[in-house]
Amino acid sequence: MSTATPTAGKPAKKAAKATGLTWTIADADHMTQAEIYGEVLTQAALKDGRVVALTADLAKSTKIGKFEQKVPERFFNFGIAEANMFAVASGMAETGLIPVVSTFAVFASLRAAEFVRTDVCYQKRNVKIIGTHSGTSFGQAGTTHHCTEDIAVMRCLANMTVIAPADARATAKAVEAMLAHDGPVYIRIGRGFEPPCYKDMDFEFTIGKSNLLRDGTDITVIAAGIPVLQAVEAADRVKPDGVSVRVIDMHTIKPIDEEAIVRAVQDTRRLITVEDHTVVGGLGTAVADVIAKSGKGCAFRKLGYQDEYSIVGYPEDLQHRYGIDADGIVSAIGEVLKQDFEQDEDWEDE
Amino acid sequence: MADQAQELRARIFLRSCLPLVKVVLEERSAYRKLLYRAGGAVQFAAADSEQGAWVELTPEGLDVKQGKHPSPSITLTFKALRDMNEFFAGGLALPRVSGIAGLPSLLRLLPFLLKLKMLLPDVIPEDPDEKALKVRMLLFMVTNALSQLNKGGDEAMAKYAKTSPDRIFQLTVENGGPAAYLRIKAGRSKAGRGTYTRRRPYVHMIFPDSEGAFDVLTQHFSNVEAVRLGKLRMEGAMEGGKEIGLLMQRIEAITTGAV
Repeated sequence: MSTATPTAGKPAKKAAKATGLTWTIADADHMTQAEIYGEVLTQAALKDGRVVALTADLAKSTKIGKFEQKVPERFFNFGIAEANMFAVASGMAETGLIPVVSTFAVFASLRAAEFVRTDVCYQKRNVKIIGTHSGTSFGQAGTTHHCTEDIAVMRCLANMTVIAPADARATAKAVEAMLAHDGPVYIRIGRGFEPPCYKDMDFEFTIGKSNLLRDGTDITVIAAGIPVLQAVEAADRVKPDGVSVRVIDMHTIKPIDEEAIVRAVQDTRRLITVEDHTVVGGLGTAVADVIAKSGKGCAFRKLGYQDEYSIVGYPEDLQHRYGIDADGIVSAIGEVLKQDFEQDEDWEDE
Repeated sequence: MADQAQELRARIFLRSCLPLVKVVLEERSAYRKLLYRAGGAVQFAAADSEQGAWVELTPEGLDVKQGKHPSPSITLTFKALRDMNEFFAGGLALPRVSGIAGLPSLLRLLPFLLKLKMLLPDVIPEDPDEKALKVRMLLFMVTNALSQLNKGGDEAMAKYAKTSPDRIFQLTVENGGPAAYLRIKAGRSKAGRGTYTRRRPYVHMIFPDSEGAFDVLTQHFSNVEAVRLGKLRMEGAMEGGKEIGLLMQRIEAITTGAV
């Protein structure tokens, strides 16, 4: 697990250059995750002739229009035919290309699920998938456009790597890592307008290795994607009350950083997971699997959509309603700290 | 009835200090011969308090129990709890002795009780073995006394414990030295010996060796100075270290009768 310094919601004062990239984040506070993704992907395509972009009539919404402008000969729009797009991507990968498929998370993970499974994962093809508008980040578009199941679907597919970056800067790093990785990768990002979590580009991003954003001994909050910043804010909010909270950015949900989870169980004995996703099969379930395998006892709470569909609304309002914002996390911290979980209740002095 | 301060002081002497006679026996094999064919119970009591404790002597070892023995071999009853506390603090306070037939048991116990004087702040041994023994006894006494402060209703400690999540305050002397911990959770507390393994300590005071631990625990150096000199490492929440340090000072104040 590597360590990094999050901004805790404060705007970055100075933009930093991304190592190894020709582009710069002029002001990441004003760029969405998707815009950053579009920039990084375009630059990667200019360097590497194998990178091709595929979309299903969502080039503008998924912010890869720039790719089309700069590298039109390697840009393919399939119309509203997601399943076909994944089948073609699989074939492209077989020829040695690196197809990057961009569409809404709900279409990639649900509408085209069988093709992702059979043509991409089963064949272990080097196809990269960017699911935008994940969770309820496009809350006002309605439940049909929410996607609170994609992590569960994607992580159950063999050979698939699943990543949920916390903000635009983490997305830039995730796209670089994705392109360097051999095999199917799914990255879920928001619609955009998410505040930055990392204050600069000076942090490590390694697939399968989480980032420690706050260290603590009373309780651990493990988050992925947009809720990471909320977890940091919650930790900072309870600190004056003497509560020591560890915050882990579990950006890679598969393969998950088992070592960091087991260490958190051992060190703090109280864990909360936070995800913009259903609690069935997502980050919380992945963490619970690791805890169960370790044989260690702990108090554990999964924050997310509790086996229900979200109502329609603005993302911030929905996050508050479903308890995955800083308010909800603070409340859960208070409850889990009081929770008993084991028979270690011998209070006789030695 | 004795006042609350004396009750709390007695609680620490009887529950945190007196049981250390067993540590003396574990660490000093020469004392074992004092228990040759031993058998009996030495009761400590005060006329104005329900508190009391007895030491059971057998050839196998010593055991310390709280309360009143149904038929002690010998009973030392102090006129007031304050006198008993002075006795354990190394002062002059003579009890009424009943059960003269148990005098041999008291005489066997006396060297152990005298060894407990090692806990007093002004007893500074020179011999490294004696220093190591003092460190071991202090570690066990301090963690136990902190827990007893809470259980005995000391306002400051009880308030701290009540608001505390599940936290471990661990003290460790490396290189084969002793370890002890205090666990606090929502008003409850437990002092234990060794290392608490079920979770990471909230505060961990690590002494590289017994010599360094002795210097810190006898306040030859402050914690800050000891850290600078490499005699102490602090891991975990620094603010927690400060809080527990203040409570440790309170133990000394209570046992010496300063409060």
